Amino acid sequence: MEPAIEVRDLTVAYRERPVLWDIDLTVPSGVLMAIVGPNGAGKTTLIRAMLNLVAPAAGHVRIFGRPYASVKSSVGYVPQRGSVDWDFPANVLDVVLMGLYGKLGWIRRPGKAERALARRALQEVGMDHLVHRQISQLSGGQQQRVFLARALVQDARLYFMDEPLQGVDATTERAIIALLRALRSRQKTVVVVHHDLQTVPAYFDEVLLLNVRRIAGGPVSEVFTRENLRLTYGGRLTFLELPS
Amino acid sequence: MTPFQLEIQLVAIIVAAASALPGTFLVLRGMAMMSDAISHAILPGLVVAFFVTGSLSSPWLMAGGALVGVGTVALVEAIRRTRLVREDAAIGLVFPALFSLGVILIARYAGDVHLDTDAVLLGELALVPFDRWIFHGYDMGPKALYAMGGVLAVSLLFVTLLQKELKLATFDPGLAAALGLRPTLLHYLLMGLVSVTAVAAFDAVGSILVVALMVGPPAAAHLVTDRLDRMILLSVGIGALSAVGGYWLAWALDASIAGSMAAVVGITFLSALLWAPGRGLLAIRRRRRRQRWTFAHKMLTIHLAQHERQPDQPFERHVEHLQDHLHWEKEFADQVVRRAVRAGLITRQGPQLLLTQAGRSLANEAIVAD
Ligand SMILES: Nc1ncnc2c1ncn2[C@@H]1O[C@H](COP(=O)(O)OP(=O)(O)OP(=O)(O)O)[C@@H](O)[C@H]1O
Ligand SMILES: [Mg+2]
Repeated sequence: MEPAIEVRDLTVAYRERPVLWDIDLTVPSGVLMAIVGPNGAGKTTLIRAMLNLVAPAAGHVRIFGRPYASVKSSVGYVPQRGSVDWDFPANVLDVVLMGLYGKLGWIRRPGKAERALARRALQEVGMDHLVHRQISQLSGGQQQRVFLARALVQDARLYFMDEPLQGVDATTERAIIALLRALRSRQKTVVVVHHDLQTVPAYFDEVLLLNVRRIAGGPVSEVFTRENLRLTYGGRLTFLELPS
Repeated sequence: MTPFQLEIQLVAIIVAAASALPGTFLVLRGMAMMSDAISHAILPGLVVAFFVTGSLSSPWLMAGGALVGVGTVALVEAIRRTRLVREDAAIGLVFPALFSLGVILIARYAGDVHLDTDAVLLGELALVPFDRWIFHGYDMGPKALYAMGGVLAVSLLFVTLLQKELKLATFDPGLAAALGLRPTLLHYLLMGLVSVTAVAAFDAVGSILVVALMVGPPAAAHLVTDRLDRMILLSVGIGALSAVGGYWLAWALDASIAGSMAAVVGITFLSALLWAPGRGLLAIRRRRRRQRWTFAHKMLTIHLAQHERQPDQPFERHVEHLQDHLHWEKEFADQVVRRAVRAGLITRQGPQLLLTQAGRSLANEAIVAD
């Protein structure tokens, strides 16, 4: 089957300083993949480059074999929760509807059909009781669920999620993982920036170990080794317990 | 009211509405300072356009100002991108430089014309009715009415047609770009609109009032409502009311119209800050108070619940004991008890406090939830 993502020789620099260096990556269709690496490793930048939000200095990205611009309606994006201003005057439904803005195109506004879709997505993440809640009055876990619902309404084939499990409690984490698995069973591909190394083997099929360069990538069982983690995190990895 | 007074107020209302529309998005983007920068930085553009065309009301003036306005935004952006200074500092560097360039140009080469620095800062709203558009011998009204009316129409179109695009580009530019909704293009369109509005309003109300009208009403509306469309409508309403209120305040005090309007905008914002339901300072204080009592009730019921089945119970549930156990002042303890009785959480038997069923469940919930 055609891979969901192919990245070749990707280099991204912010003002002369490369933050991603010569990355090669192939993500098969229908898998849950984790991107792990220390802070500042370039995980967010890699996602932004794959979404064509930053221009690469070299290399290219193919999504389902094509450039991003021609498949953007098949790609969903869940940014880091802290990247937006939650004081914005909007309620939960407004935010979820934003996921449909791409399909609606310019000028057309969401109507009844879109609102029904948004409510269904909110149901899927267990937030249908808070449809009209102002977004500043949500807990961190609830904000994360709203973002997930917003991605779900996009009905994409490929999802990028930047730290969806950051700062959520155990219940929300379980709910989100169940959701990711449901997506996988519907043949979706999900790429997740993840920080908790302990749970990588339990949650993900594939993993990319990243620190400016690609350290290793592939099935978790093959590449998620102590040695590769040491190469990724350097000496900082002292308290880690991993299956050998 | 004389026709002149009516015309002045009409122009003021239109200026207020036209400023509030792009102003809403400036405030939501945390770019309120940008209105200040643009409205000052357009000055050299205006002056140069004035030298070239020799007129103060030519459309070229608007184009020149708008160009410099958008240039200001680009310059601020370029300085910020060097990461040597932050955005607020970049703004602070760019606009005084451009503004003073404009002032120097006026002082040096235009000393004898109507472009003087007083007018630049405060405008000449009172003179608006004297610059009229005469069409084939017919008096069509003040020119400013048409200039500002045109700008208002463009703004209205912009924020109604592209409201969802502006909303997403403001809230989450990353997603907007990923969905192909061109947030950078929208950003520059918005800045262009801010510039055009500032230029058009400049002659009538000056640069200070433009800033007040772009920032004040949206900031007040943001405190009062939680929905974007309502915030836009409310900003326009607040702006228009401040315009009219300011006019009559100036009339009563025999003061500058623009200055009075800015003052009313400020007062309106302060009122919203104080009294806005939910978010205003008074609402916050009330909520804090209520939380204090709720917390005290929880402490009391938990304390009583814990000692309900113990031998030391009569002692622990004695009203006087609360002061020791919960470190409450006597007066506060009495108040809590009185309120708790009224709320049906406890009953009193002499000095003894007994939990009601409601009190018991409050204690249980409080312990489970924490
Ligand atoms: N807009 C920007 N301009 C300049 N440098 C940037 C920019 N965004 C990120 N960087 C730098 O690029 C590097 C990679 O950042 P990135 O956000 O991709 O890291 P990350 O792996 O997502 O980190 P974290 O775990 O903290 O989210 C960092 O050194 C960061 O300082
Ligand atoms: Mg990141």
